[in-house]
Amino acid sequence: MAAASKTSAGLFSTGHTVLRLVAGLAAIAVAWQASVLLFGIRPYYLPKLSVVLDAIASTPAAYAASVARTAAETLLGYVTGAAFGVLLGSVFFHHKVLKDTLFPMFVVSQTIPVIAFGAVVVLWFGNTLFAKAVMAFYLTFFPVTVNTLLGLQSVDPAQEALMKSFGAPHRQLFWKLQFPNALPQIFVALRLATSLSLVGAMVGEWFGDTTGLGVLLLQATYNENVVGIWAALLVASALGTLFYASVAGIERKVVFWRAEQ
Amino acid sequence: MIRRRQVLSTLGAAGLVAAPYVRAFGGAPVKASLRLKWLPQAQFMGFYLAVEKGYYRAEGIDLTINPGGPNLLTENLVATGADTFGVSGGTDSVFAARDKKLPIVCFGIGHQITPFVFVSKKDGPVKTIQDFKGRVATTWFTGANYVLESVLAKAGVNPKDVNIQPQQVSATPFVEGKVDVFTATLYNEFYTLDKRIGMANLTKFAAEDYGITVPRDTLIVSETTAKEKPELLPAFLRASIRGWRDAFADQKAAIDLMMKLAPTLQREHQEFMLAEIKRLMLAGKASEEGLFWIDPAAVKTAHDVFLNYKVISGPVDLKAAFISAPLQSIALADRKV
Repeated sequence: MAAASKTSAGLFSTGHTVLRLVAGLAAIAVAWQASVLLFGIRPYYLPKLSVVLDAIASTPAAYAASVARTAAETLLGYVTGAAFGVLLGSVFFHHKVLKDTLFPMFVVSQTIPVIAFGAVVVLWFGNTLFAKAVMAFYLTFFPVTVNTLLGLQSVDPAQEALMKSFGAPHRQLFWKLQFPNALPQIFVALRLATSLSLVGAMVGEWFGDTTGLGVLLLQATYNENVVGIWAALLVASALGTLFYASVAGIERKVVFWRAEQ
Repeated sequence: MIRRRQVLSTLGAAGLVAAPYVRAFGGAPVKASLRLKWLPQAQFMGFYLAVEKGYYRAEGIDLTINPGGPNLLTENLVATGADTFGVSGGTDSVFAARDKKLPIVCFGIGHQITPFVFVSKKDGPVKTIQDFKGRVATTWFTGANYVLESVLAKAGVNPKDVNIQPQQVSATPFVEGKVDVFTATLYNEFYTLDKRIGMANLTKFAAEDYGITVPRDTLIVSETTAKEKPELLPAFLRASIRGWRDAFADQKAAIDLMMKLAPTLQREHQEFMLAEIKRLMLAGKASEEGLFWIDPAAVKTAHDVFLNYKVISGPVDLKAAFISAPLQSIALADRKV
């Protein structure tokens, strides 16, 4: 009985969240459309939302193909970047010498603007999906590395001492205590990296490609197709939001204890 | 039944055309790529059409077209071998590349005259070139600025008296009168201006009116390819010219293909673009000598502008940088439109 009521309460609250989200979106849509009409904003500054949606609806296949392509690049770069970041953070945690020698170099690598990196990536990897995934990877791995290291370092020393006193081996200490303890911190970076990886993939598409949201944005910008610019932005933000929400959802499932703390 | 017979006869015809060339390369088509200077648009219509119609394949080339972007230098990609052929910026970028000792050569020129003009509004303060004095002019600081300065110098206006600023992507500052003179490519920015101001309300200042010309959209290849696979160059040119002739002959069908390749483009703009590109590609000597003609006099004029402004460190050996032999190996009748 208790379990049943809890489930229905859960459903009720999920329903509420969705409802609030839809209401929020509707409010923005109305404000957009109304402000253009009311204040007579010229289409070169901000076209009507309905015109932007019309543009997407008139060539749906092009937008669908672009979303699929950009999502694939982003996801590939994100997953490999996240895995590499967690691995690197863990290695740095265990080997201080390695951390002191390599970490500054990774910091230097991140000061290079991704746009400068693009031309080299094209020379190395050509016009492939992989080349764009590399850009997404490049922007993803660093915050994940830093947060993994930070999370692992922030373990309560008393808990560590307790496990050690029971003779827990290193491996157990890592998997049972340090890593789970670092997860909330890692997920902060994973959420942050969703938008970073999307930016990486889209910028990557500025270096010679035919499909992708970055391509649509670039083409519209240089043709002064303002409606096209907004259409690409709208679709990109929808993809980014969906991506962020998915990772946040996974976070709630994986780091379930976080809410209880 | 009828359809099958049609397919068979088409295949047969294609085979007849393809056979001699394919055999020249020893059977299998040679894999090659063409790097453009920008994204797919009617500016490159002929190349896309030639791929679609199998003209490169008929010449024994399996061609992939790679689009460009704002931060890609075609010369670099061709020099390093990442791409076989390239449609690069223009004679200006070929000079710069040769000046930097990049091993690339130009074997054809697309736009025979300067594809951009300087424009002012008829109801604005700039009516003649003398009126540029004390006014705000925007242009691209990637070479067009030297063209503007040369034009002013030829007209007896000291470029220092003109407030020349880097041009942003948008035409809005010009439309709103914050900028008096704007640089516009005839196939792109000019379309936007026509839509927003109207062509009749604009005054054009073309470099050619002041004895200056900068032919652009140059076909380039690495010195290695030109030396080791010389037969590839005429083959590429023949197929490309066939594509361009078809594009000019049936512009509607050509734009149909472009809209299929890049559906978010605006059809009307692409139609405008193709018509302008045709004019640019058939201007000057190309009307007598055919497409992609390299006019040594025009190249020399452009070269002297960039040498004069020390954009290149010294004179470029133009005979080595621009080679006409591959084009001249094709009969004139096959080059002309």
